[in-house]
Amino acid sequence: MNVRLASREGLLTGFINLCCILLGLTGLAGTMVGGWFHLSSRQPGAWLLLLGIAVWGGVRAVRRVPDPSRNKTLIAGLVAGVMHGLTLAVSLWLISTLLDAGAEVRKWLVQLTPEAIRLLTFGLSPVAAAALMFVVMTTAGLVGALWVRASERYPWQRTLSKGPTTVRTRFLALPAVQNFMQRKHSQQILWGGGLLILLFFPFVLGQYWNYTLGTVGIYVILGLGLNIVVGFAGLLDLGYVAFFAIGAYIVAILTAPAPHGIMMNFWLVVPIGIVLAALAGVLLGIPVLRMRGDYLAIVTLGFGEIIRILSKSDALTDFTGGPRGIRSVGGPGLFGFDVSSEFYFMYIIILGIVLAAYVTLHLQQSRVGRAWMAMREDEDVAQAVGIYTLQYKLLAFATGAALAGFSGVIFASRNKFTGPEDFTLLVSINVLCLVIIGGMGSIPGVVAGALVLKGLPEILRQLADYRMLAFGALLILMMIVRPEGLWPSTRRQMELHERAEQSGEPDAGSSPETGP
Amino acid sequence: MNILAAHKVTKRFGGLVAVDALDFTIPQGSIVSLIGPNGAGKTTFFNCITGFYRPEDGSLFFNDVSLTALRPDQITAMGIARTYQNIRLFANMTVMENVLVGQHTRLKTGMLGAILRSPRARQEEAEALEKAQEMLRFVGLAGRGDWMAKNLPYGDQRRLEIARALASKPTRLRDALGLTILLIEHHMRVVMGISDRVTVLDYGVQIAEGTPAEIQGNPRVIEAYLGRGAASGLGQKTAVVAAAA
Repeated sequence: MNVRLASREGLLTGFINLCCILLGLTGLAGTMVGGWFHLSSRQPGAWLLLLGIAVWGGVRAVRRVPDPSRNKTLIAGLVAGVMHGLTLAVSLWLISTLLDAGAEVRKWLVQLTPEAIRLLTFGLSPVAAAALMFVVMTTAGLVGALWVRASERYPWQRTLSKGPTTVRTRFLALPAVQNFMQRKHSQQILWGGGLLILLFFPFVLGQYWNYTLGTVGIYVILGLGLNIVVGFAGLLDLGYVAFFAIGAYIVAILTAPAPHGIMMNFWLVVPIGIVLAALAGVLLGIPVLRMRGDYLAIVTLGFGEIIRILSKSDALTDFTGGPRGIRSVGGPGLFGFDVSSEFYFMYIIILGIVLAAYVTLHLQQSRVGRAWMAMREDEDVAQAVGIYTLQYKLLAFATGAALAGFSGVIFASRNKFTGPEDFTLLVSINVLCLVIIGGMGSIPGVVAGALVLKGLPEILRQLADYRMLAFGALLILMMIVRPEGLWPSTRRQMELHERAEQSGEPDAGSSPETGP
Repeated sequence: MNILAAHKVTKRFGGLVAVDALDFTIPQGSIVSLIGPNGAGKTTFFNCITGFYRPEDGSLFFNDVSLTALRPDQITAMGIARTYQNIRLFANMTVMENVLVGQHTRLKTGMLGAILRSPRARQEEAEALEKAQEMLRFVGLAGRGDWMAKNLPYGDQRRLEIARALASKPTRLRDALGLTILLIEHHMRVVMGISDRVTVLDYGVQIAEGTPAEIQGNPRVIEAYLGRGAASGLGQKTAVVAAAA
């Protein structure tokens, strides 16, 4: 039985490796590794990727063995390596034979250039290259098996998944931190310090990073709003972008010279945008919130699309600028100065985040927040303990919509433009993703999620065309390793609980530094 | 005086008459049990009282106020709280939060108060916490406030559910024990032991009403219910309505 499982792992990882080759990822790895180490050849990087996946196959195969003796481990690794090697060797032979015969492989597989194949064949004949591949991959499978035996004493995987939480509890258990937390104004000092750092932030960043992180910040506000709807109240809203769009169009219509020429002051438009978006939330909520779960998700999804399609419809072209959108959206001014550069917008966004976090945090720890959570847990019982569920759903929807409207106002004004294509379904899904990745119902989680989801693609620009592929792979990896989210919500009381349990260790140990 | 009075209450589901012109009263301060075989309509009637179902016909009065047009949360606010046959807690909230949610209708803090943490909101929150502590002490869960509800052992979950139900009472606990209780319970020893009066339902119709002793001797009850071998009890199914005095 173990042989069957091991060979399945070998085939699986072999197939993954084959996909990497066919999609040109091996070549990409070669370029990147070559770039980092200033190598003239792309071969080291390409083989590093191939071998890495093959070793992983060996590791996976060994993990399938229930009680691994030395022989069983080696056999599992060998079987996986052989299957892996066979898969790749046969494919490589096939591909290089086809290429030699002059077949137009590139018609379907753009990345399969003769040069890319030469990375793998070293210019050998098809049969020799296949044999080499087979031997190398079999060895890699064995190496994986040996590695598992060697690393058994150190369960690195568990460390990886629990690492951040452990670091946090350890940090909170430090005597110095404990002392600080017990001081009277520790909370205020922390907030003040954090704010001060944020105030200097935009100075340090260049224009590019001010713009990029500004986008991240807008998504943080969006995420905080959706966090109330999905994380607290448990209402799956897939049309959240609608309220973002409403905020953006309100500032555009009221401040741009083009379709209407109202040209209102930006600061006056902010509250109007927030209130109208919240109102839209209530208006949508009244008919829609009688539904639950999947049905609610589908209806809100439809609503999001309706708003986008309306904004570019012919009927409303005079009002919304149609598909071409609205240009020259007004920016904020302060005492006659124009403060609409990325630099100043960063401050507006930071202020917005702080306000949104303040509101969310206070709501979470109040009668209102508890009512939302109760609804999320069990709607019927929530009603039975006296919560008027429709009212509280509307409140959640309106609060979320207000925050989305606010970020929409900032977004359109900062871009000096708004158009229907800014508000596709993908925005809703992105915001939902960042809430889930950060950890549902957690405020710092939203910030972490936004940084990962909107910041990471910027960092991954190196990967060029493969950016979104790598991004998707990272997301999947994250959901496997940390399904609870990057920074899951632990209630304050729960933290205290943990701290009380942990504090015994450092106190009993050495803590002479805690003096004055 | 009757705290709850039902007159000819009828609830239909399509062609099925689940509760058929039921007359039912609960005297103030008493413990009244509702029993009957599975499917007799006990839970349906219960849901009519608590507002989850709207009866097609008949009237329901709680302290002379009609319940038939009210929502569940409004009925709870009047002082009717319930627990469930199969315990239904807010699993991913702490024990303390469960009791605090139970006080929902007694608290007033709205959106603005919560966001700004107004002095009134803070004071109300402090009082609510204190009252919740008292409830937890009363049911024997003192010191468990930080636990997740789902991590409590089964018996303690039931205690918490009772604490949550009691928390919706308007009065402080020491005045609160003059409860009126409507009990649905399959465990006959419990029913016969604590009830002042027992009502027996079968197919939505009341087939007997009286003291426990009268019920035990009633031939119709024996035929409909006890005769089927259920007398020894069908397990731990319990549901309670506790009504404020």
